[in-house]
Amino acid sequence: MIDEQSLSAHLAVDLDRHFEQLVRTYQDRLYGFALRLTGCRQDAEESTQDAFVRAYRALAGYDAERRRALRLRPWLYQITLNVVRNRVRRPTHITVSVDGALGDGLAARADEQPEPVALQAETHSQLAIALARLPTRYGAAVVLRHVQGLSYAEAAAVLDQPVGTTKSDVHRGLRLLRVALQPEFRQNQLLEVGNS
Amino acid sequence: MHNRQLLDELRALGNVHTPARVLEAILSEVELSDRYASLETALGPVFVAWNRQGVSAVMKTATPEEFENRFRERFRRSPRRAPELPRLPELFDLRSVTEFERAVLLKALEIPRGEIRTYGWIAAEIGHPAAVRAVGSALRKNPVPVLIPCHRVVRSDGHVGEYALGGSDAKRRILAAEGIQSADIQRLAQRWRPPHDGPLRAKVV
Repeated sequence: MIDEQSLSAHLAVDLDRHFEQLVRTYQDRLYGFALRLTGCRQDAEESTQDAFVRAYRALAGYDAERRRALRLRPWLYQITLNVVRNRVRRPTHITVSVDGALGDGLAARADEQPEPVALQAETHSQLAIALARLPTRYGAAVVLRHVQGLSYAEAAAVLDQPVGTTKSDVHRGLRLLRVALQPEFRQNQLLEVGNS
Repeated sequence: MHNRQLLDELRALGNVHTPARVLEAILSEVELSDRYASLETALGPVFVAWNRQGVSAVMKTATPEEFENRFRERFRRSPRRAPELPRLPELFDLRSVTEFERAVLLKALEIPRGEIRTYGWIAAEIGHPAAVRAVGSALRKNPVPVLIPCHRVVRSDGHVGEYALGGSDAKRRILAAEGIQSADIQRLAQRWRPPHDGPLRAKVV
């Protein structure tokens, strides 16, 4: 696979010729990032598509020097995160409230579409559901660090915040996940859903 | 859940593959996707695909569906059928070939209609005189036969050799349509034997 620096150099010379390579190189990462933030394949597909189209248009407006200097990976994650954030600002239905942040994050999406059974395992594990329901701030930090395997420094660059804040968000996100995965917590959640 | 187990399970959630339709939708949205239409040639109708980079493929298939399948297999993109053939770009999209193959194909593009050259000639011209077989392989992988005239390249012993668009019979037919009869190929090929092709001769000092 072509490395990031060579790809930036190629894009600087000829964007149209190398854009497809850019998509092929990063699409699984960005799709995986969006999928874990949204918990929904359709949202993830549309977010990935939007992110690359925005990236193309931005690159087309940059001069060659700016394209060459671009650190593609954090830049693309950043675009994807913005797309996902803008897409998920919709009314949500709160089912459980443990503390302020968690209750908000665990809100179930009322408009989730049913998915083919064969694909459900990918998004329907308890962990995937809990992860997608974390507040974006903590979800993004956990996904970047522990699902995508970025260093804290890289994750902090994507999130545009200090490394210390990122570490604290990851830590809090993991704690919220552990709580959400406790059997008694899931039981409560099911009861709440059943009563609503 | 233990911390290690949680981290392992999180890591496993990263193993996903993007559905192919996402790439297609992106390329289409930024107008980098391929369109295709039918083109009449000396070998009958073929399908030709193009995008903003240039002409990307020429294939001879029985149906548009078969063309789409073969195109998808080879380029991992989906072409969309155009209502009619526009004026084709004079550029070629050769992203699917290596630098060496690209050099071979661009050299073949220089051979005028009604003339032929040998594999050895191309090898010598692009600075790899020993790579005669590799030249043959590169021409077989020509994504745009007819338009890049790989059919104008033959073996130095006069055999027409392989052809990307339907074997040696098709190659003879298209050469005949350009005024080169099978009987003349051997004689014409002799003119383009590179110096190293054949028994080595002692250098007279």
